[in-house]
Amino acid sequence: MIKIPARILIVDDEKDFVEMFSMRLEGQGEKVSTAYSGKEALKVLETKIIDVVILDIRMPGMDGIDTLKQIKNLYPIVEVIMLTGHGSTETAVEGMKLGAFDYLMKPADFEDIKIKIENARKRKDEQEERIRQAEVKLLLRRSGDF
Amino acid sequence: MDKRYDDNIRLLLVDDEEGFRAAIARRLTKRGLKPLQASDGKECLDILGQESVDVVVLDVKMPGMSGIDTLKVIKQAYEKIQVILLTGNVAVTDGVEGIKSGAFDYLTKPVEIDHLVNKIHQAFEIIRLEEEKQTELEYRAKLEKKMIDTDRLASLGTMSTGIAHEINNPLAIINESAGFIKQVLNSAEMVKYSQKDILIMAAEKIEKSIKRARNITHQLLGHVKKPDTKLSEVNLKALLYETFGLLKKDIRDKQINIHWQIDKNKNVIWSDPYQIRQVLMNLLSNAVHALPQTGSITLSTDEIEKDIILEIKDNGVGIPKENLGRIFDPFFTTKSFNEGTGLGLFVVHKILLNLNGKIDVTSKVGEGTCFQIRLPKCNKSNG
Repeated sequence: MIKIPARILIVDDEKDFVEMFSMRLEGQGEKVSTAYSGKEALKVLETKIIDVVILDIRMPGMDGIDTLKQIKNLYPIVEVIMLTGHGSTETAVEGMKLGAFDYLMKPADFEDIKIKIENARKRKDEQEERIRQAEVKLLLRRSGDF
Repeated sequence: MDKRYDDNIRLLLVDDEEGFRAAIARRLTKRGLKPLQASDGKECLDILGQESVDVVVLDVKMPGMSGIDTLKVIKQAYEKIQVILLTGNVAVTDGVEGIKSGAFDYLTKPVEIDHLVNKIHQAFEIIRLEEEKQTELEYRAKLEKKMIDTDRLASLGTMSTGIAHEINNPLAIINESAGFIKQVLNSAEMVKYSQKDILIMAAEKIEKSIKRARNITHQLLGHVKKPDTKLSEVNLKALLYETFGLLKKDIRDKQINIHWQIDKNKNVIWSDPYQIRQVLMNLLSNAVHALPQTGSITLSTDEIEKDIILEIKDNGVGIPKENLGRIFDPFFTTKSFNEGTGLGLFVVHKILLNLNGKIDVTSKVGEGTCFQIRLPKCNKSNG
């Protein structure tokens, strides 16, 4: 089976973590972009198409929850997985209520990460497919007006 | 120590004049004071060596060891004993010297019996006050120790949370790095590399150790007080059922009888169900682990004032006395590292503190352990 790479954006102020994590995901065949702050993440999203954002909750400046709100506001179908070094799953749950797909606790099991990314991407693909079909129907109905 | 009353004053009467001694003894007995008797200083000390005595009535003028010398020995060896001296009516100086040497008081012969009885009661009152003071001191020391323990555990809790948090981030970096190394080693280019397998093994050892460290940090963080703790009605019996369900794996290999003695009217509190579940989880799994192949766990509830008491009792191995004071300390464990982190009871203690509750434990080696949780029926604050 040929793997279709997921377009992933990792957002965390821990540079070493971002670096290693992205190398690992790339080694698995994913297409990875990185950002070290919420602001930077939004800039990346302006220029690149991203399927899944992996977003650290605790960051200086604009924190993970604020960044999540912005992302969901501007790019509602981009899936977000929250990442937390904090044991408080409450913040992660709050994130999910705001539209995040799921959360991971640092240090996370790589198998878990892979599964969650895969599922997140699948949901985005399906959503895009539904939108496409709806658009096609709309188009057909319009053309039927003639 | 229980408060003792005047009717069981243990009295010793010491005088070399047998007739006088017998007469006094008889009259004291009539007034409810039955004295032991000795005829000289040496015999007096012999008796004190064998019997517990509160008050000694001691003649000063005796052949052999004098009354004053006897007094000095008594006061040195038996701090708590009170001594009343009997002196001849011309020997007031003896009495004064006696008081300097620690006598309670002196009486001049001939002795008026009511006067003597009065003095004996007064001397005993001193002993009793002393004992009460001692009991209170011990009680206060115990209370203070408990407060210090609680404070100490609370600050340890704050610190451990901070440390755990700080460690998780570097741990995540180590984890990704080790994982990346493994990934590279497993790639196609490495197929011919002869050291590949041992390097993979090394990377896996790093990963395994990360999991171990993560277990600890996640446990420490698992009980972080959440700002938005949701309080709700907590049915302890239902929660206990649920928790046993989660422990199925541990219970399955053992024969455990669970005795439910939960009063359905004393079973519901208003608190944080998630934290209470964590408490029950830790305590029940401890109880299960304490049991050998077969055993029983008794669960009961009670109500005292505005609190609900939940007792979790097992008839397992028990906790040795020397460990009992340390079981709530973080990282104290008697299990090996892959069986327990030593954080379970520490977390329990911390949670209960946050929920305005308390926990007490009694245990006997070979008989079992009983944990008693006390929680307010209605937890008003957020903890």
